[in-house]
Amino acid sequence: MALCAQAAVAITVKDSLRPFPYSGHEPARYLSKYHALLDDCDACGCSSNGGSMGFSSMFNNEFVGLRYFYQRYSSKDGIFNNSPWVDENFNTVQAWARIPIVRRLQVSALVPYHFHVRERATGDQRIEGLGDITVLAMFTAYETMRDSTVLTHKLQAGGGLKMPTGKYNMANNVGSVNPGFQVGTGSWDYLLATEYVLKKGRLGLNTMATYTIKTQNEKLYRFGNQFNYGATLFYLIEQKVKWVPQLGIAGEVFASNFQYDQIVPDSSSDIVFGKVGLEVGRNDFSLGLNAMLPINQHLNGGKVESNYRLSVNLNYSL
Amino acid sequence: MKTTFKTFFAVLATTFLLASCNDDDAAQMFNNPTGTGDLQVKFDNAYAGNDLILGAPNTVNSQGETLKVNQIKYIVSNIVLFDENGGTFTYPKSESYFIVNEANPASTFIDLTSIPAGNYTKIKFGIGVDQAQWEAGADGQGDFLAHADAQDMMWSWSAGYKFILFEGQFTSATVSSDTAYMVHTGKTGTAYNYTEVTLDLPTKAFVRTEITPSVHIVTDLSKIIDGTNKIALSDHNMGGMGAMIMGGEAVAQISANVPGLFTVDHVHND
Repeated sequence: MALCAQAAVAITVKDSLRPFPYSGHEPARYLSKYHALLDDCDACGCSSNGGSMGFSSMFNNEFVGLRYFYQRYSSKDGIFNNSPWVDENFNTVQAWARIPIVRRLQVSALVPYHFHVRERATGDQRIEGLGDITVLAMFTAYETMRDSTVLTHKLQAGGGLKMPTGKYNMANNVGSVNPGFQVGTGSWDYLLATEYVLKKGRLGLNTMATYTIKTQNEKLYRFGNQFNYGATLFYLIEQKVKWVPQLGIAGEVFASNFQYDQIVPDSSSDIVFGKVGLEVGRNDFSLGLNAMLPINQHLNGGKVESNYRLSVNLNYSL
Repeated sequence: MKTTFKTFFAVLATTFLLASCNDDDAAQMFNNPTGTGDLQVKFDNAYAGNDLILGAPNTVNSQGETLKVNQIKYIVSNIVLFDENGGTFTYPKSESYFIVNEANPASTFIDLTSIPAGNYTKIKFGIGVDQAQWEAGADGQGDFLAHADAQDMMWSWSAGYKFILFEGQFTSATVSSDTAYMVHTGKTGTAYNYTEVTLDLPTKAFVRTEITPSVHIVTDLSKIIDGTNKIALSDHNMGGMGAMIMGGEAVAQISANVPGLFTVDHVHND
């Protein structure tokens, strides 16, 4: 969710690119580019942007790329103890980019395309389409200068906008307990984001938090505000290719949804994932792999369960 | 570049304003309801928390009996909706008699039409046919008499309607092989046994010309004989010929259990 920021828009600004100042000595140079902010998109698929997957761009601070991610859920298809659990497969292909505008200011954009399937006993239920495009501007509030070598910090904060480019269809939720089975929230949503990166030598820690304020859509439905947080440890191994293994946690908290200003029962959720990842970089390309497993979850009154998430991405440095 | 950006944000801002206007219109319409709309009441038969499957054994009840339900039908009547301002809407009496029959899924959805737009918070209905209606005589029943007859929900005109028909097989500690049971409620010699049920809606039902709420009621059939009053079928299994409960004190006890059968699980406003 959070930074499900995106790219299409940003492509037009390419000609204004300017190299971002490096922040450290050589190993740190790469590490400094590690960025987890775009991590997390929606758990619960809710606004369906993503999935706390980790925006792993440790090799390229300015890049364009493609990411595929898969989220597997089970949801109860009915209200009874003996109601069947059905599998839900959320697939997203996302174009993304992170582009410097001026010194200390970067803009990220995320353009997701979703294809989701619920495997009901009566047949598959499918939805597909462009998701909500997100644009996020991040300002570097503090950054250790390159020659303060022992411990370096970087603090960024910013805000963004998620646009209702994905179609919200009320009918998708009929007979379903997973309100996240949508390709978009249908609303203009606002993001606040902050990220802090601490590094020492080849080892780094990235912590991030985002808060998404969601507004009522045209169908007078409002998805609950969303808080995402995460912490990821990463380590740089520099050989002919660069390897960056990662280990961390990511969490998502969703407030209740409202329909016609009335609370939707069982619509609040929270979940914490453990995640492992690896990014491999060579020349201008980097390949990222990520897996997330839930550690603790309370989704939609226990009627929805997240099983796991996987993602793979290919980025190209600008 | 700069121009591109300005244009981009101008477009964004404009789109946002337009979107806001649309929301306001929709909210305006929603908050000032006019005209009439429809409402659906769904009766979802269950057995002690599980969805009912006809012919399948259910969980053991407090009397140590296991029931398989083969048939369940009941008459739902005289629906009244209560709005948030204390007003009521009584569905026209001549159109307010329905038979819910598990074997016919369509019959478990009752579609009410021409309801004044409003925010409803409570629903009331009867199980059975009220005494006044029965006293209107055979001619006063309209089409419903023939319908009930065809559905086997009449004993005879003089004996009256069956309000609940609940049949199947059971086993217990003392009855080891599947043994038939038949529970039919209705008027008995001493009591009319028509029962009213009033249920709060967990969230409001917003009836609008463009919104048809669906009120999803769960009917827990286990409580027919295992509710406030507990009736062991084994006690009615005279001579091992099956448990037949169609009159007497047991029918009065079951009728008293009726309000406890029903809960509103949720309301959809779609």
